[in-house]
Amino acid sequence: MIESPKDTQVEVTINGKKIVAPASLSAIQAVWHAGYSRVEGVGCLEGVCGSCSVMVRRQDDKEVNTELGCQTFIEEGMEIIFLGFPTPTHQTYQLADIQTSWDVQGQFHQIFPEAGNCRACGGCNRSCPKGIEVENGVRLATKGKFREAGDLFVECVMCNLCMTNCPERIAPNHVGLFSRRVNAYFHIRPSNLINRLEQIRQGKLTVNKI
Amino acid sequence: MNSTVSYQEALDNYQANHELPLPEAELSMDELLKQFHPDHYQDSLTTLEIGPNKGGRCHRQLADVLQADALIDEADLAAANVTETDILVIGGGGAGAAAALTAARKGARVILATKLRLGDSNTIMAEGGIQASVDREDSPQAHYQDTMKAGHYQSDRDLVAEMALDGPDVIRWLIQQGMNFDLNEFGDLMTRRPGGATADRVVYYRDYTGLEMMRVLREAVRNCRNITVVDNAPALELLGNESGHCAGAVFYSTTKHLFSIIKAQQVIMATGGIGRMHLNNFPTTNHFGATGDGLVMAYRLGAKLRELDSFQYHPTTVAYPEHLSGSLITEGVRSSGVYLLNAYGERFVDELKPRDQVSAAILRECQEGRGIRVSDQQAGVWLDTPGMELREPGLLEKRFPKLFHMAGRADIDPRTTPMLVYPGLHYQNGGVMIDKFGKTTVPGLYCVGELSGGIHGRNRIMGNALLEIISFGRRAGEDAANYVHGRGHKKTSIEHVSNIRREIVKAGLSMRKKSPLLFPKCAGFVLENEKY
Repeated sequence: MIESPKDTQVEVTINGKKIVAPASLSAIQAVWHAGYSRVEGVGCLEGVCGSCSVMVRRQDDKEVNTELGCQTFIEEGMEIIFLGFPTPTHQTYQLADIQTSWDVQGQFHQIFPEAGNCRACGGCNRSCPKGIEVENGVRLATKGKFREAGDLFVECVMCNLCMTNCPERIAPNHVGLFSRRVNAYFHIRPSNLINRLEQIRQGKLTVNKI
Repeated sequence: MNSTVSYQEALDNYQANHELPLPEAELSMDELLKQFHPDHYQDSLTTLEIGPNKGGRCHRQLADVLQADALIDEADLAAANVTETDILVIGGGGAGAAAALTAARKGARVILATKLRLGDSNTIMAEGGIQASVDREDSPQAHYQDTMKAGHYQSDRDLVAEMALDGPDVIRWLIQQGMNFDLNEFGDLMTRRPGGATADRVVYYRDYTGLEMMRVLREAVRNCRNITVVDNAPALELLGNESGHCAGAVFYSTTKHLFSIIKAQQVIMATGGIGRMHLNNFPTTNHFGATGDGLVMAYRLGAKLRELDSFQYHPTTVAYPEHLSGSLITEGVRSSGVYLLNAYGERFVDELKPRDQVSAAILRECQEGRGIRVSDQQAGVWLDTPGMELREPGLLEKRFPKLFHMAGRADIDPRTTPMLVYPGLHYQNGGVMIDKFGKTTVPGLYCVGELSGGIHGRNRIMGNALLEIISFGRRAGEDAANYVHGRGHKKTSIEHVSNIRREIVKAGLSMRKKSPLLFPKCAGFVLENEKY
């Protein structure tokens, strides 16, 4: 058996309740370990679904951080609060409504009118559990640089923390996702795929069910 | 576990090598599966005593929930709020989203209800990619044959043929929803070879294929005018009408703690698999919600199921450190050329064989003492990423950011230290029997995605799950929308639950267990009506 320092018991406060649990547990596991029921805001448990956002303050630290509950290991004296679901976005759009790629930038400012109001407060950057340059992404998108903007959001799990933290209600994660989607929708045209679709359409490729 | 070499000893002896030979196999693959694959464990199987599959083989743990008492009866529904819609989609993963989008765009009113939050699913965790025969050397015919072979020729031929031909159009559809794929310098789709395939057929986006797919589909669903999304609402039971037609479902709100009824003309279930039932006590790569609810609900309403004794154990899930146990390492890592090594630094299986064979080979090493021991309960084998780094420096970090992120949480640098892996419960090969539109044997009930059965036979090949959910999700959505008429069902009830109870009693089975499970035991969830 391998001895690990993570087997030691620590005391933490989660949603106002004192919990003693092994340090190898995540915030979610610690809640369960203490016998409390928790199913809302639990998802993949691997840090990719973005459901379990929490506020965390570590011992002797004034700063309150936002993180993912399944990726946060408990530490002595830690205070954790699970965040409820933020309200859904107020923007709505359909890619099919954008007629050509020449219109994307104009449409973007109609769909996300607040994006141009970014006051560069850095709140979104600080809130992001994935370390994405969120603010920079929003800035690039407002200039029509959707490909560059979208590339910054590769690791985005849509936890909505940046949205919650934005004083201008910009919904930066949706700006990032919009940037990624228009890039695929208008610019991904793989010739190997198109050629294969054409062969199937012409009936040249069928399946013999042997 | 019989493995004798400890983690530290094995790590001290470990050396990264450029190339290593593959020793000749001592056992035939059939023999290997029979002796070491968990589907063949003695005592894990039983015979179903009630329901449409009465007399059929089934995993014991699954039989326990299929033949259990329901969580609710008619009295619980007295004050339930009733909503009506054209099409009800149950499940918020990729299959549910594809079905909902397709039906809604044909003009149907759709309600998509999901146990957790839209997108919280196994789809979002899929890493390796999605199969589509786009390569010049490849064809839908080869895709068909590889799928049939990997599934030990137990698949439904029609379903596999339809899916293989759908492949390229599924990729086009995903791009039209705004999904990105990795492209080469000419803008063509990059491909890699799944274990057990004859061509490079998996297209992908880094090792985030599922995340990229799901966040795009979620955004599309949320922005679709005809779809209403209901989060935090596990389905408890399907509704039937007087002629046995599926007519909606009963839900429980985990935030309001109330029952509700959604009546619908057609119901599409896409509730996923069973990983969190931890069959044979294996760790799982699955999502928190994968508790097999759909199988139970469909079975009670009379849907026939298939291959209930066949499950997939993914060869490479993390075995150490413990807090990451069960986390998936994508097969893409093996298809890019990474070896598996035992405690003595030897290869023991062709890493690109189908998953069932690679998993059985790993279990054999661990049982026969050539594994690496972490504790009395846990052993594993090396995933030789440092050797790969020698052969193609930099490739791993570029292609597999998620692997690096995860290894970082264990203070392991995969370029210099191998990771310890062990098979984990990954996928339900069988499920609800369907036709090429996703229709079950119950009228008005469609099942798509992992919940359905017949496509993968007794073993699924990498990349066919993401293809299946979109291929059949769209088929079900399209077909269901054709059957939406002016009026809804007159009389709906959960009377079939009373019939099942009678059968349970008649068969002399226990009424103490209840199902569907809804959540893993560790979460401590109890329905309001069960508390008193």
